Amino acid sequence: MRQENTMTPLTLEQVDADGALRETAAAVAGDTRAAFLRRTGLLGGGALGGAALLGLVAEGAEAQSAGDRSILNFALTLEYLEAAFYREARRMGALEGELALFARVVGQHEDAHVRALRETLGRRAVARPRFDFRGTTESADTFTTTAIALEETGVGAYKGQAARIGSDAVLAAALAIHSVEARHTGWIRDLAGLNPAPVALDPPLTRAQTLRRVARTRFVVAAPRRRAGGGGGGGGGGGTPRFTG
Amino acid sequence: VELVDESAALQAGRDGTGGATRAELFKKAALGGGAFLGGGILISGFPGIAQAQGTGDVAILNFALLLEELEAAFYADALARGALTGEVLEFATVVGAHEATHVEALRSALGSAAIPRPTFAFRDVTAATAPFQATAVILEDTGVSAYNGQGTEIRASAVLAAAASIVSVEARHAAWIRRLTFGPAYSGGRANYPAPAVLDTPLTRQQVLTAVGQTGFIAS
Repeated sequence: MRQENTMTPLTLEQVDADGALRETAAAVAGDTRAAFLRRTGLLGGGALGGAALLGLVAEGAEAQSAGDRSILNFALTLEYLEAAFYREARRMGALEGELALFARVVGQHEDAHVRALRETLGRRAVARPRFDFRGTTESADTFTTTAIALEETGVGAYKGQAARIGSDAVLAAALAIHSVEARHTGWIRDLAGLNPAPVALDPPLTRAQTLRRVARTRFVVAAPRRRAGGGGGGGGGGGTPRFTG
Repeated sequence: VELVDESAALQAGRDGTGGATRAELFKKAALGGGAFLGGGILISGFPGIAQAQGTGDVAILNFALLLEELEAAFYADALARGALTGEVLEFATVVGAHEATHVEALRSALGSAAIPRPTFAFRDVTAATAPFQATAVILEDTGVSAYNGQGTEIRASAVLAAAASIVSVEARHAAWIRRLTFGPAYSGGRANYPAPAVLDTPLTRQQVLTAVGQTGFIAS
C-alpha cells in the first residue's frame, strides 16, 4: 500500500479556531427569512474555458423553498472560501508544476461554482465574506494540506445536504458539483502522496460540523456586511481576499 | 450465453439519447485502443439488465449493483492476471476492494431482490497496463455519471445518502486513475485532467446500460 508520506494530513480542526465564522453561519441561517424568490437554478453542462460556463435558467414562478435557498447559500459560502483560497494561492506564486496546474484548474472550477450559485440565488445570495488565509497560500506544503482540508470538507458538506434538498434541479446541480469536489480531493491527495480514496464510503458532514470546521480555520475574518448586490461572481472587486502573511 | 444485437430496437424505444451515447462510446473506444466492441451488443434475457430498468429504488439499486459488479470483477480480473505494477497495481488493489465493498453493501440492502451475480469477460483489456488504465478511466467516469443521474430519481432519503457516499468515492477513483494515466503532462489537455469539467454530467440509466452493453464485458 501507499507509503506514509512526509506530509501530515491536516484537518481543519487542527488549524485552531476562534469561531470567526459564526457570524457567517448566522447570516446563512438568517437568509432563510426571505419570503419570495424569483429564480431557481438549473445547471447546464458547460466546460471551462469556453464562453457559457453554467447556464442558469430562471424558472419564474417555481420558487425555491426557504430550505433549498438556505442550503444553496451554505454551499455558496463554502465555494467563496475555496475560490478565494485558490485565487490567493495563484497570486502568491509559490506553486510549481502540477500543483500550480491544480490550483489553476480547481480555482476556475470553484469560481464557476460561485457564479452558478450566485446566479441561482439571484438577489438572495449571501455576500462574500472577507478572508485571511493566514499564510497558508505561501508555500507548497501549507497550500497542499489546506487544500486537502477544504476539499474534503466540501465533499462532506454537499453530501450531508443532498437528502435535505427539495428541488430536483437544485439536487441535480448539487450532485454535479459534489462529485467534482471529490475529484479535486482525489487529485490533491494523490499529489500529496496520500491515498486519494482512503475509504469505501465517504462520510457526510452536517451543516454544523462543516461550519465548525471552517470556523476553526479562522480564515473567515468578517461576515458580509451587506447583501450581495451586483458585484459579480468572478474575480476582483469586493471579494479580494486580504492576507496578512 | 445469448448475445443479441439489440441496439436498433433499444434506441427505437428510447428518447433519442442512444445516438449521443454511441458517439461518445466510439470516441472512448478509440481512447481505449479497441477495448470495446464496435457494435451495440446487449445480453438478451440477462435478468440484471431487465431488473435494472424498472421503476423505483429497488431497480435503481440493482442498476448500481450491476455497475459495481462490473467494476469489482474488472479489478479482480486485472489483479489475477498480474500485469499491473507500481501505483497502478496499488490503484487496482485499493479500488477493487472499494468496489467489492459497494457490491456487498448493495446486495445487503437489496436482500433477495438483488440481481444474480453476472459473469464477465474482459478479454485482453485486463492483461496489460495501457488498456487496463484506459478502461478504468471510462468505468470510473461512467460510475460517477451514473450515480449522479439517479440522484433525482431516488425516493428514499437513506438510499440517496448511500448513493452520495458511494459516488464521491467513485469520483476519487476517477481522479486517481486519470492522474496516473494522463499526468503530469496531460498532453490531451483539459479533457484528461483528473477533474475535467466544472460539473460532472449525469447520464441516464438507459445511456449507461447501453454503454455497458456495448463494452461486451457482460458474458451472462
